[in-house]
Amino acid sequence: MNWSIAKKNFSRQGLRASLNVLVTALSIIALVFMLSLLNGFQAQATRNVVSTDVAGGHYRAPGFDILSPTEWEDHTVTIPKFIRQLDNNDKAEVLVLQGQLYPNRRLYPVQIRGISIDQSLLKLPLNSLKNFSKNIDDIIPAVVGVKMAKKAHLKKGDTLTLKWRDKSGAVDAKDILIVDIGDMLNPRIDEGVVWLRLDHLRFMTDRKDQVSWIAVQNYIGPVSGFEFQSIEFLMADLLALWRQDRINSKILWAILMTLVCISVFNTQMLNIFKRQKEIGTLMALGMDSNRIVRIFTLEGALAAIWALVVSLLIGLPFFIWFQGIGFDVSHLSESTLPIRETIYPDYQPMEIIYSLVIVFFLIVASSWFPVKKITRLDPTMALRGRAIK
Amino acid sequence: MNNKLISLKGISKVFKVGDEDFTALIDVNLEIDSGAFMSFVGPSGSGKTTLLNLIGGLDIPTTGDLFFKNIKLSSMTRNQMAQYRRENIGFIFQTYNLLPVYSVYENVLFPLLLNGSKEKDAQDRVMDIVNKVGLSDQIKKRPSQLSGGQCQRVAIARALVKDPVLILADEPTANLDSKNSIQILELMSDLNKQYKAAVVFSTHDEKVTRYVRREVGLEDGKIISDK
Repeated sequence: MNWSIAKKNFSRQGLRASLNVLVTALSIIALVFMLSLLNGFQAQATRNVVSTDVAGGHYRAPGFDILSPTEWEDHTVTIPKFIRQLDNNDKAEVLVLQGQLYPNRRLYPVQIRGISIDQSLLKLPLNSLKNFSKNIDDIIPAVVGVKMAKKAHLKKGDTLTLKWRDKSGAVDAKDILIVDIGDMLNPRIDEGVVWLRLDHLRFMTDRKDQVSWIAVQNYIGPVSGFEFQSIEFLMADLLALWRQDRINSKILWAILMTLVCISVFNTQMLNIFKRQKEIGTLMALGMDSNRIVRIFTLEGALAAIWALVVSLLIGLPFFIWFQGIGFDVSHLSESTLPIRETIYPDYQPMEIIYSLVIVFFLIVASSWFPVKKITRLDPTMALRGRAIK
Repeated sequence: MNNKLISLKGISKVFKVGDEDFTALIDVNLEIDSGAFMSFVGPSGSGKTTLLNLIGGLDIPTTGDLFFKNIKLSSMTRNQMAQYRRENIGFIFQTYNLLPVYSVYENVLFPLLLNGSKEKDAQDRVMDIVNKVGLSDQIKKRPSQLSGGQCQRVAIARALVKDPVLILADEPTANLDSKNSIQILELMSDLNKQYKAAVVFSTHDEKVTRYVRREVGLEDGKIISDK
């Protein structure tokens, strides 16, 4: 009987119940949306760094440190034969040396990065290097990223001088031709980086079969003469940023949950407040307190279930649609974060489920609490509408 | 045969209003017989409604004892008090207090369901009472679709449907015009004779005094007359 009374009370409240459900559903949608966008931002940035630079980890020349450019020349090693024989999809050989670029009579210190041109492990816009057929005795083909091009005022087809040191320390220089400006996605391999073919760079510096590191699809065990650096190690700074960001996102989650809580609690309290006389009448008719509490709590549970259903009905098409168009963050493209122009939300089922469970219990609790309070008082107070103020 | 339905012995009621104590009833002694048709009369603040609430088990006295058929109400638990109201008392309120989302039929049916009846067993009883209060053509309407007089008739039907021994009506005519007030009073008088339930009004409506068989006057929480 309790269930049928609760169902009848809920279904016949009309606009009041509908608004209650709608407010809660919209709060749930906003909560899920914000969390998913934040997750999407992190997931996308991580994916971009992995797909353009880190892959499944690096076998690096011992002592090589990307933050010590003056030592890059001292930390190169010859690639072992068995690694050279790995599939191009499983490895990418990289040689990193320092150099100076002279755009428009300015000196611009750069990282010269040579990469095996047949590799397909890292997703890089370097096809123009592959297609360039000129002899490098005349000019060296190079690709720079969008950010680098902007900063150094470079454009496709520009010719400018690049200076480097060869294996024996002798300084050499030659003109390079910018054959393409590529969207690198990842600022760490864009700003200050000049991309060359690995065979060209080896030739220029007399470093036959030398690499600074080999990016691999998967760890293949210890390799003599190399140190393996895992994804976690290589992305330590970004992961630390994400960890901090996760704390921030927890705070954001807590803020959003608090807003949802306040909204739900306020709506439920207002609802119960308006029904004090009804509760008093039920008490006067002889319904015992526990039963009244059960009925109103069931009504709250019904509101919560409907809110979840409505949030699913409204939210699902919205989330699917939004997954398609994404969120424009082109204003962030100037930042140092490895993200695209558009962020796509990343829906984490567990995160959504526990947020929904909390909202559900919150609605039930915010129905239970005020009614429990009212039924503890004398029925006369409820009948006068003075049980809660 | 003991005809005594309610006995009040030395009843006092004190309310806390902010930091102040407000004494609503002082040493009230009273007996109400089965089948009575009586009223508590007096100005606002004289203690009529408080007295009605105490008799109806909606409130408990500060001092004194209240008996229902020799059973002491003041020593009952909250659940026992709810059971007492459910089984023995019918309430009629000044503002009707009908359940807003229920139809006339459902409002009248509700006390029977609370007492454990099945709807199919209670249908005839509900229809009979609704007929008696003259609302058989309004059965599907909700309170918001009825006039004040019609709402009060529904409240009367709801109070009577479970065949209580006592009906407590708090200012039942206060929100009605003269014509409706008289109709309601005549209806209650007829039903009192027909159903034998004791009816106690709290009122300051002079029209009520023409219908009741006993009138208890209250002033400043004390009984000043009983005639």
